Amino acid sequence: MSKTALRIAGVSVASALAAGLAGSANAQLLTHKDISLAMATTIARATIDACKAQGYNVSVHVLGREGQVVLAVRNENAGLATFENSMKKAYTARTFSRSSGEFAAGVKGNPNAGALFLTNITPAQGALPIKIGNETIGAVGVSGAPGGEKDEACAKAGIDKVVADLK
Amino acid sequence: MSKTALRAAGISLAVAFACSLAGAANAQLVARKDISSAMALTIAETAIATCKANGYNVSANVLGRNGEVIVAMRGDNTGPHTLENSMKKAYTARAQRRPSGDFGDSIKDNFTAGALHLTNIVPTRGALPIKVGEDTIGAIGVSGAPGGEKDEACAKAGLDKVADELK
Repeated sequence: MSKTALRIAGVSVASALAAGLAGSANAQLLTHKDISLAMATTIARATIDACKAQGYNVSVHVLGREGQVVLAVRNENAGLATFENSMKKAYTARTFSRSSGEFAAGVKGNPNAGALFLTNITPAQGALPIKIGNETIGAVGVSGAPGGEKDEACAKAGIDKVVADLK
Repeated sequence: MSKTALRAAGISLAVAFACSLAGAANAQLVARKDISSAMALTIAETAIATCKANGYNVSANVLGRNGEVIVAMRGDNTGPHTLENSMKKAYTARAQRRPSGDFGDSIKDNFTAGALHLTNIVPTRGALPIKVGEDTIGAIGVSGAPGGEKDEACAKAGLDKVADELK
């Protein structure tokens, strides 16, 4: 190897090492955007109001990225099961990154679908994932209206209220 | 028995019968006032905002008469245990009808106190009962500030906000 070639090789190794130190791809922290309590409160209030305006009393859950409860609201005029159900619907939407109604349609002909046997998964319409682009950062679940599609419409109203901030 | 005495006895019986119909003491409904979800949202939002203003991130739970969750709020940047802890403090305040910290003080030297071994009971300050006069209708619990007395101050701010409605 010539002296010049050796020097070039040395520079390359040094560059590679420097690059490796600067941006060690396997050890970088993840950068996330997550739902704030303020946003969750806005979503929940808008959801409850949208259903109330149509004469429906609903309970609502807003879950975060890990399915954790960010906000839960029990409606005193909704059925007893609505509090739990709104959480499970939201958990389902978060888990599958799509509406719980779409999940329900997907497993409709398959009562043995494995997902149906996971904790907190429910094949009931009424929850939507909360997304930034294609990234799911949470979900809002609604229960209490006479029909899952009506619950879902209120969930949509809730998300629409903050859509400008979902970026 | 004289005729007069008989008549008097008859009247007494009739009066007793009428009274039992009018106010059958064993079958009356219980009249109660309970916390609405709107009031619970106001209490929780105020408690969290108060702690935020003091520089503390906290979670809050508002429970109803039977210890049921009416509103649960996970504060931004709080420890993962704070939502559970605020619920348990609130449950304790509801069950004991006094600040959870007062309960804690009362069993301070008694680790075998029976109440400590009930589900969801904690001896930790940071929750206050919600009362209408002497009737405890729920509780607000806060967790996340550095010290239970700081949590409790925020809980009190939440209650103060709705004090006029608690009647």
